[in-house]
Amino acid sequence: MSPWRLELLRLTRTKKWAALMGVYVAFGLTGPLSARYMKQILARVGTDGATITVPDPTPAAGIVQFVSNASQIGTLVVVIVVAGALAFDAIPEMGVFLRTRVSPAWKILVPRIVVSFAAAAGAFVLGTGVAWYETWALLGAPDAAPVLVGAALGVAFLAFVVALTAAVAQRMQSVLSTVMTSLVVLIAMPLLGLAPAIARWLPTSLANALADLPSGGTMNDYWPALGVSLAATALLVWAAFAWVGRRGA
Amino acid sequence: MIRTRGLVKRYGSHAALDGVDLNVPAGSVYGLAGPNGAGKTTLLGILAGLRKATEGEVTVETEPGEVSVLPDTPRFDPWLTGREVVALALTLSSGLGSSTAHEHADRVEEVLGQAGLTEASVRRCGGYSRGMLQRLGIASTLVARPALILLDEPASALDPQGRREVLDLIATLRGCATVLFSSHILGDVQEVCDTVGILHHGRLLFQGPLTDLLVGRAVPRYELRVRNNSDAVAAALSREPWVTSATAAYGGIVHVEVTSLADAELRLTGALAATGASVVSIRPEEVSLERAFLELTS
Repeated sequence: MSPWRLELLRLTRTKKWAALMGVYVAFGLTGPLSARYMKQILARVGTDGATITVPDPTPAAGIVQFVSNASQIGTLVVVIVVAGALAFDAIPEMGVFLRTRVSPAWKILVPRIVVSFAAAAGAFVLGTGVAWYETWALLGAPDAAPVLVGAALGVAFLAFVVALTAAVAQRMQSVLSTVMTSLVVLIAMPLLGLAPAIARWLPTSLANALADLPSGGTMNDYWPALGVSLAATALLVWAAFAWVGRRGA
Repeated sequence: MIRTRGLVKRYGSHAALDGVDLNVPAGSVYGLAGPNGAGKTTLLGILAGLRKATEGEVTVETEPGEVSVLPDTPRFDPWLTGREVVALALTLSSGLGSSTAHEHADRVEEVLGQAGLTEASVRRCGGYSRGMLQRLGIASTLVARPALILLDEPASALDPQGRREVLDLIATLRGCATVLFSSHILGDVQEVCDTVGILHHGRLLFQGPLTDLLVGRAVPRYELRVRNNSDAVAAALSREPWVTSATAAYGGIVHVEVTSLADAELRLTGALAATGASVVSIRPEEVSLERAFLELTS
């Protein structure tokens, strides 16, 4: 029983893989569908005397709808799954079991971070693939290159989310406090992004790249955020490794 | 194997450990006895490297991978089977090393058998009772054959049979590993340990071979049981010149401290006959760790 197999079992036996796959695949299916039938949906819910005009759906709209639905709930699920794997001191006896057997302590984190990230990225890519197929079937094929680049930037954002949660988990005493603290940081970033000069530097802006690039956005808008995100991810992983070895007070 | 000098651990103004000089000989089974709140878990946590001492020196003469710790209430991921928990403990502690996967599997089976968990090992440990979790923790602790084993109250959650098995298991480790075993159940310490430390309010009141503790406090005593009038019997016996004290207790019990066992063997039955008491039993009282502990801490 290796630590890598332990993490795979954690994903499968606790059904966390199903939560990750479920949320992204579900939004991959429903996003393009709702974009395709938005007019009809609004016509049904519209009231007498009010006219809602919606432009005809484009292939890019299918991907936009997927991102707008999946980015927030998907990120929430990723944070919860990652926190469950990385906040092992939430059960102090588990922390003792691991810390007294693995030296140096950062080795405990490697399989947990890698497997959690792989599962989150895999689910996101699968959801993107499903959204792409659904869009192709209902609205026509979106351009491949912007979708692929947007998906890659989305994966980079998820790496940042996993690293952030990993670092936070080493400072917190429970899964709940890890989730809440990580979410506060992730929610605070878009608020900072209300200042246009800052927005393009924030890792959270990468989450929208998959919607923006097929709609005409350019990669130039994302280089600063990508650079910051990669640097912050490396820094946060280093911090998690440094903090996991700390001894109790 | 383990030495501490002037070890202090403070939580705010409260000293959980107050100048502890511990000395655990290599290969011994050392019993750290003391009531709840004495500082036993804090001391084990510092020795395991899980807590920082406020002051003092700690020397543990072994490699980090050679130490195995069992917390008082072991818990594991509930979706793992018992066998997987023990196999994980073995892999984390030793890696595959020079052993083959087959040898690892054999070792896991061996300790599962020692812990009495062979049949339950295929079940997920989330459904284990507290006693089974304790035994699973012990199996995980022993599986990698560590040189130093730190056990925090290993038998406190077990039923009498489980406790018996765990104490026997610990006794078999003598000579194979150094065992530091904390417990507030003094009978357990007395049964399996050759060296004992008495910790009370963060201070080490005694440390040394168990025999030194018991012999040094050996007072010849008898426990009598009479059918009735135990107060009168105690009063009559306490007037004898060879009786140091005689006190009546509940249930017709009379505790008699004598100047020497030889005097008691010669005169006790005669003195009892003179009281006219109906005697149920007479037996010499052995000095127990519990009595020595009470004397030390009173």
